[in-house]
Amino acid sequence: MNLERDLTRALRRTPPPPGFAGRVMQRIEREGVQARRVRPVWWRAAAASLTLAALLGGYTAHHVIEQRRGEHARDQVLLAMRIAGAKMRYARQQVHGIGSER
Amino acid sequence: MKTGLLVLVFTIAAAFPAAAQQINLDFPGLADKADEVVDVTLDATMLRMAAKFLSNDDADQRNVRDMIHNLEGVYVRSYDFGSDGDYDPRASADRVRSQLGANWKPLVNVRSRTKENVSIFADMRGDKVNGLVIISAEPHEFTVVNIVGPVDIDRLASLEGEFGIPRFSAREKSHD
Repeated sequence: MNLERDLTRALRRTPPPPGFAGRVMQRIEREGVQARRVRPVWWRAAAASLTLAALLGGYTAHHVIEQRRGEHARDQVLLAMRIAGAKMRYARQQVHGIGSER
Repeated sequence: MKTGLLVLVFTIAAAFPAAAQQINLDFPGLADKADEVVDVTLDATMLRMAAKFLSNDDADQRNVRDMIHNLEGVYVRSYDFGSDGDYDPRASADRVRSQLGANWKPLVNVRSRTKENVSIFADMRGDKVNGLVIISAEPHEFTVVNIVGPVDIDRLASLEGEFGIPRFSAREKSHD
């Protein structure tokens, strides 16, 4: 009989202390906010890395294109100057040739 | 408003002489008949860019860089034909000559029945050469060079080097 009485006392429903539910909810909310705070750090790092990679890639591509354009322009200038110089020299030689014959 | 108008007038006035030295190098139908075409079109911006890529170690490239420093443009058209009579040398040369105004003075005119006929015209502003046109008409090759801006003719004629590119001939080299 004592056993039954003891069990009844042990399993008796006791109301939670005042404010217990509120404190639990506050804790859940606090931990959720902390978890949310951690995630953006990774997202920002990833975004920054991607942006940096895109910028570096863009700069490199721009540099390569400019280099090719510059080298092409240089070759064109040299070709043009060689043609002009050759024609000038030919004309000059013809004039000097006529002059030396006289 | 007044200042803006003045700036506009000076800009147009400054641009006009350069435009006057640049001639129209379109020869309709000539490229279609030619076996090889060399087409070089370099405005002031492209010349400035090219200057950055010219070698300091090569004397000829240094010379070219100094020469193009103040130029407004360099334009070359060269057509190489498979056989004689594929084009009319006189008509093509006259097409260029007809565009040259009173400022343009003939410097040299070489005429040959068998070899190339070369005419060189300079846009003279006082003692200064402010533009150059070279017309070379051979039976199977026609070349026009138009240099816009102050030109040192002696320096141009003294350019002997290969510049690290193959010897020029429209037969050997074609550009877009």
